[in-house]
Amino acid sequence: MTSTATSPPAINDYWGEMVTVALLGTDRREPPAPPPGALRDLAVDDPQPTASQRLLQQVAGCTVARRAGMLPGASAPLLAPPADDLRPVTPPSATATWRRVVDDWAVLEDEWLLAVIHSGRRLAPELIVPVLARYRTDATRHARALVAAGTLGQWMIEWSPRLACTSRKPVVMEAIGELPDLAIVPELQSVLWAPPTQAAQTIAGGLSTGAFGISHRAVLVNVVARIQPASLPALAETIGNIDPSQPSIGLAFALADLARLRHQMLTELEPA
Amino acid sequence: MSTRRWQIEQVLALAPRPSTVAAAQPLAVPARWAGAGCDARAVWGRCVGSSAEPYECAVDHVEVAFRCTCPSRVFPCKHSLALLLLWARGQVAEGQPPPFAAIWIAKRLATTDTGPPTEPSAAATVESPAEHVEGPATAALPPPDPGKSRDDRIARMSAGLAELDRWLDDRLRTGLSDPSLAGYRTWDGLAARLVDAQVGGLANRVRRLAGLVGAHPDWHSQVLAELGILHLLATSGRHLGTLPPGLADSVAGTIGWQVRQADVLAGVPHTDTWVVMGRSDTREDRIEVRRVWLRGAGDRSGDAPWAMVLSFAAYRQSLDASLAVGTQVHADVFRYPGSVALRVLMGALHGPAQPSGLPTGTSITAACAQVGRALAAEPWLERYPVCVVAAPSRAARRWLLTDATGSLPLIEGATGVATLLACSGGHPVTVTAEWTSGGLVPLTVHLADRAVDIGPVADPSFVGVAS
Repeated sequence: MTSTATSPPAINDYWGEMVTVALLGTDRREPPAPPPGALRDLAVDDPQPTASQRLLQQVAGCTVARRAGMLPGASAPLLAPPADDLRPVTPPSATATWRRVVDDWAVLEDEWLLAVIHSGRRLAPELIVPVLARYRTDATRHARALVAAGTLGQWMIEWSPRLACTSRKPVVMEAIGELPDLAIVPELQSVLWAPPTQAAQTIAGGLSTGAFGISHRAVLVNVVARIQPASLPALAETIGNIDPSQPSIGLAFALADLARLRHQMLTELEPA
Repeated sequence: MSTRRWQIEQVLALAPRPSTVAAAQPLAVPARWAGAGCDARAVWGRCVGSSAEPYECAVDHVEVAFRCTCPSRVFPCKHSLALLLLWARGQVAEGQPPPFAAIWIAKRLATTDTGPPTEPSAAATVESPAEHVEGPATAALPPPDPGKSRDDRIARMSAGLAELDRWLDDRLRTGLSDPSLAGYRTWDGLAARLVDAQVGGLANRVRRLAGLVGAHPDWHSQVLAELGILHLLATSGRHLGTLPPGLADSVAGTIGWQVRQADVLAGVPHTDTWVVMGRSDTREDRIEVRRVWLRGAGDRSGDAPWAMVLSFAAYRQSLDASLAVGTQVHADVFRYPGSVALRVLMGALHGPAQPSGLPTGTSITAACAQVGRALAAEPWLERYPVCVVAAPSRAARRWLLTDATGSLPLIEGATGVATLLACSGGHPVTVTAEWTSGGLVPLTVHLADRAVDIGPVADPSFVGVAS
C-alpha cells in the first residue's frame, strides 16, 4: 500500500533514508534528522538516549503518518472491455449446480456446458475463471468452455494467461458440440429411450431384486447420465423410494441423487 | 460459570505439540465421555479409551492443572485437551464433581491460594497418578505459573513488552541485513517468550512478521514499518493507565488481553439491519480464522458502521457459515471495547436472513479517508474494510482498483483478482475489500442481482467445512 501512498515527498524521502539506516544498523550509521513538522516535534518532545531508540521512535511515528495519511495513487486508465456478448448469463442457481456437478457428479460436466451453449446463454462471469482453469489441460473441453464463456472468456485469457489451454492436442470442431459417449452395456441400451415409467421400473426393479449391486455402479451411473431427460423425474422418484432394507439402498440413493441433479441442471438451462 | 469458560484457542495454546491436538480432536465428542461435568473450578469426566477401565480426567481451569489416569507421558495429555475442548464448546453440563475429582480439587484448594481466576497460561501445573508432579515429564515443562492475580499478570506483560522493545532496539542497532533475521528461530523464540509473558497478540504479529522477511523485494521497508508498529504497541502497552479508555482497550486487546464474552454481551447492543459484505479466511498458526464483515444498512451513506464477526476452527473443525455474503439480517450486535471497535459478537436475530440489495460504494479517495481515520485511531490495525465503486486496472505490473479520484493497489497474489476482473468486464463495479498494508484484498463483487464471494478461502484439507 505504501507504494501508492502519495505522502509528502519529504516524508517519503525520510522514510527511504531510515530504511537504509535500518538495513545497515545504527552501529554503523546515524539515523537521519527528522523533517520539520510533527516528526521533528516528536523527537524534540520525547528525546531518546541512543541512536537505535531514536530510529525506532521515528520509524513508529513515520509509519503511523504514512499509513493514516495515505492518499490514493493516480487514476489508471480503464482496461479496454471485451466485445459485447448479447446472450443472457446463466442464472445464479446454475452456478451452484455447476459446483455440485464438479464436486459430486463429474460425469455431468460435459452435458452441463453443452446445455449452457444450447440454451443460448453464456457463462456467468464468476464461473469463467474456475471453468477455464479446470479444463485448461483438456483441449476439447477448454474449447467448449470458451464457446460458453464468449468474448469475456477470450478477454480473460488475454489478462490472465494461466487460463489458456495448455494441451497441444488438436481440437476436432465437431467434438465441441457433441456429448461424449459413455460405456453402457448392450443389455441396458434399451433403457435409455424406453418410456419413462418403464425405464424407472427396470432400474428400480434390478436394485430391489439384487440384480444390480455395487459392482454395477459405474455402468448404472452412465445410464442415468445419458437416459432421456424425460425419464429423470420418474427415475429419481422410483429408485429413491425402494425398500430401505435392500442391500443396494446406498447405490439407489446415489443414483436418485444423480437423476435429481441432472434434471435440475437441465431445467435451469432450458433455452432462454 | 459460563463466564469463565475458555475459548478454543486458549485450549489449543496448551497443547505441547500439534499432534496432541490432532489426537485430542476425535475424543472431544460427548459420546466418548461418561459423567462429564464442570463447575466454577474444574471440569471432569471419564474417557472411554482402549483400556478396560475408563480414564479419569480432571482439569482445574482456574489455576490450570491436570489430572488423568492414562499412562501418557505427554502433558497435558490428549484426554485433558479433549475434555477442555468439549467444555470450551459448551458441551459439558454443570454438576457436582465425582469423588475422584472432588478429592483432587480439595487437595489443590488446601495447598494453593484461592486468588482471583487468571487467564490460562502455558505454564500450567500437571498432576497425574501415573506421573507425579516431580516426575521426569513435568521437569521439562516451564515452571508453575507464579501469577495468581491481575497485578501479577500486568507485571508479567510489562516485562514481556520491555523485552520486546529491547529486542527491537537490538535489531535496529545491528541492522536488518543481519542474516539471523532470515532464520525462523529468531522470530519464533521471541514469539514464544511473548506467549510466556501472556501477550499472545504480539506473538502472533511477530510470527506473521517472520513471513515477510525475504518474501518481497521491498521487504525491508515492510518489516521496518511493522517493527515500528510493534514498538508503538510495546510502549503504549506499558502505559495503559495513562491512555484514554477506548485507546487503552484497543491496545490491551491487540497485545493479547482477553475480553470475556459475557462482558461484551453485557454491553448495549447495536441493533440494525446488518448486510454481510464480505468474508475472509486466514490461517494463523494452528487455527483458521474467519472474518465476516458486516455493515449497518440503516445508514445508507458510505460511512455506515462496520462490524466484524470472528470465528475460529482448529484442525478438522468447521468454520461458522451462518452469515452468508450477500444477505442481510436484522440483529443485535455487541461491540468489543476499543476506539475503532470493529469486533462484535452476534446477539439476537430479529428475523431471518434476506438477500441484500446492491450496497452503496464510495470513491477510492473516500475509502482512503475512511481507512486513514481508522488508522489514526488505531495505527496497529492490520485490516479495515472498504466498499468502493471502482474498476480493476493494471499499472506497473500490478493490479489495482481505480476510479476518477485515484487508485489503490490490490495485494500481490490475491486469489479473487481474476474473478473480480471477469465480473467487472473492465467496467466499474461495487467491490468490498480489506485494506492491508500490502494492498487491498478483494472480498466481494456486488452485482445487481447477487454478490460474488471472492475472499480468501480456508484450506479444505485443514478445516472440516470451508464455507
